[in-house]
Amino acid sequence: MGYVAVTAGAEIIERAEELFEKQRVAGEDADLTVEQIDGQLGRLTDQAMSEGGLYAPRLAALAVKQAQGDTVEAAFLLRAYRSTLERFDETAPIDPSDMVASRRVSPAFKDVPGGQILGATKDYTQRLLDFGLIDGDPTDPTEAWDLPEEGDPEELTNVTEVLRSEGLLHEPDAPDVDQPADTTRESVTHPADRDEILQELARGETGAVTALGYSALRGYGQVHPTLAEVRVGDLPVRIEHPYTGEEVTVTRTRVTESEAVVPVYEKRENPQFAFGYGLTFGRNERKAIGMTILDASTQLETAAEPAENPEFVLDIVDGLDSFGFIEHLKLPHYVTFQSILDRIRAIRSRANSNDGHSERQPAESATDPTGDND
Amino acid sequence: MTELPTSSDDTGSVATDSVDAALQSLDDEGMVGYNYAYLDEHTKREVRRSMLKAVAIPGHQVPYASRPMPLARGWGTGGIQASLSMLGPTDTFKVIDQGADESVNATNIRRLAETTADVATTTDTTEADLIQSRHRIPEEVLTGEQRLVLQVPIPDALRTVDASDAANRRRHGHRNYGKMWVHLYENVVEYGEIQIASRYPTMVADRYLMDPSPIPRWDVPKLDDADHLTILAAGREARIYAVPPHTAVEPLAFEDRAFTVERFPEKSCHACGSTDTYLVEVSEELGTDDAASFETRYACNDSSFCEKRREDPDLQKDHHLERDEVQWGPMTADADAGGESS
Repeated sequence: MGYVAVTAGAEIIERAEELFEKQRVAGEDADLTVEQIDGQLGRLTDQAMSEGGLYAPRLAALAVKQAQGDTVEAAFLLRAYRSTLERFDETAPIDPSDMVASRRVSPAFKDVPGGQILGATKDYTQRLLDFGLIDGDPTDPTEAWDLPEEGDPEELTNVTEVLRSEGLLHEPDAPDVDQPADTTRESVTHPADRDEILQELARGETGAVTALGYSALRGYGQVHPTLAEVRVGDLPVRIEHPYTGEEVTVTRTRVTESEAVVPVYEKRENPQFAFGYGLTFGRNERKAIGMTILDASTQLETAAEPAENPEFVLDIVDGLDSFGFIEHLKLPHYVTFQSILDRIRAIRSRANSNDGHSERQPAESATDPTGDND
Repeated sequence: MTELPTSSDDTGSVATDSVDAALQSLDDEGMVGYNYAYLDEHTKREVRRSMLKAVAIPGHQVPYASRPMPLARGWGTGGIQASLSMLGPTDTFKVIDQGADESVNATNIRRLAETTADVATTTDTTEADLIQSRHRIPEEVLTGEQRLVLQVPIPDALRTVDASDAANRRRHGHRNYGKMWVHLYENVVEYGEIQIASRYPTMVADRYLMDPSPIPRWDVPKLDDADHLTILAAGREARIYAVPPHTAVEPLAFEDRAFTVERFPEKSCHACGSTDTYLVEVSEELGTDDAASFETRYACNDSSFCEKRREDPDLQKDHHLERDEVQWGPMTADADAGGESS
């Protein structure tokens, strides 16, 4: 057969893999270490962990290195690895106010209990290429800071608690189930419950979550939220000690959390704010905010716009699904294409023959080997 | 941990005294650091349970967890989960992609099964216990001893007429396929005939409308009253469904617009001369200065069977069976095919 492009053996696949690996090591430069990626390209590893649904900074750095910086590919590696791991315990639920926040802004209020914490951000800098970085500048610009002795980090009251105490915030409906679903163990069927929606959004692809969230703001939706707060910080991971039965903190995870309120005026006798929530592994504020918008908009019962339809949002938002299916178009399709050619030609010839005479002929049947092909 | 029924080792079970002992006993077969056949035993059991449910309700889509696999979604992750859940060390496995064993993706899937499940592989359809295929059913008749796993991109035939899974599940529940019938009728009004090429909507056991995966229409009749079990598995969409042996499978059609398969009038395979197989066309540039001149040749799509036919042009599709004249898909019309423009 002449279709060389699609016929290949294991050796050719291995060669292609080796060529891909060569791209990374071909240069004269030193090999990038996993520690360097973890330490200096933290946003990349954060995105891979968030979309991979596995909090493991070192593995994420390895995945980023292996994927040559492709975040979805890195998330793919993490998910495929995650699916081989035994899940031996569940953590205790964590109150977000247990977070040790390194950054916290509350756009809804000028001042909030605990104060605004700008933290490390480039939000208010001018985006100018810093040519000084080309040669490297390993000095710590905060070295000369004169800081007072730090006490224990204080717990920050959630801004939404302020609204909730006044009855302005719609209390979430009581969950239908005792245990939240795990959408990696049980596939989503629609209509999906909110715990499933939040899980799927939390693992959603950053660009997709941002784009769909933006669509609701841009005019294809009714949700224009006010952010109660956006926080970045470390949350404790607690499990029940197998012997003492008490909760113990085993590690911490860096997360980004976002909460928004959306005015809902429909209930005239009791106008309240609806509530949207976003949480992602690592630092990724735009994804957390996009998720918040999508959580709020999928709770609307109208579903008049794409971002308000939970089925649409969940079907579209997963990076691994869209990545795989978009790229599968590169696989050979000549069987189905031959089938399409057959239909197009048959319809064209029918149209041509109908130009002359409008005689209707029954189509041939599958069991009739002498049927003609008009 | 469940015992593998077909396991060839002494105990057939995994040591549970310690983690190291468990890993040690797993190292005997397959890939180091991973369970036999990649997926853990609980996951494989879940997939098998979904398959059993699918067999019990022919054509009904059964949700399953669909774990992330080391292949991309849309590249056969459902098929490989179904295959790995069924494979045992004594099985012989065949993988084809668009009819070809040597296609890159088929090779990759075969490699995964070889390294993790330690199975024998073959390209000969008649020698395989389990065949995983993308978009084709082999030309040689499958037997009751064989299982066919078809990779599925879109598990619901109704997706074409409504994107909502929730709405379509309701339609399946009520056996309400009116919207699909209207779609087919509009096809006839607009084009004079039904213009669906592959993924042809098909009734299973007169109850569920099924998407038979993007096999060509040519292959759909092979599912009707077949001897073999067909498992259809979608990874990205997390659904499994099945056509058990000897189940009625009927493509939707009208009395005056019958179901038709692809036709290759007056064409034969340029390599083996077959006129009763699914052909694909290959265009090659003629060695002339005129860049726009092509020669189109037809070739068998089932490359493994084509090879056999090249040695024995009279080999029948049921040559390996004791019975003769087994019905297995259509025969190519090689007579009176007027009006074909190509």
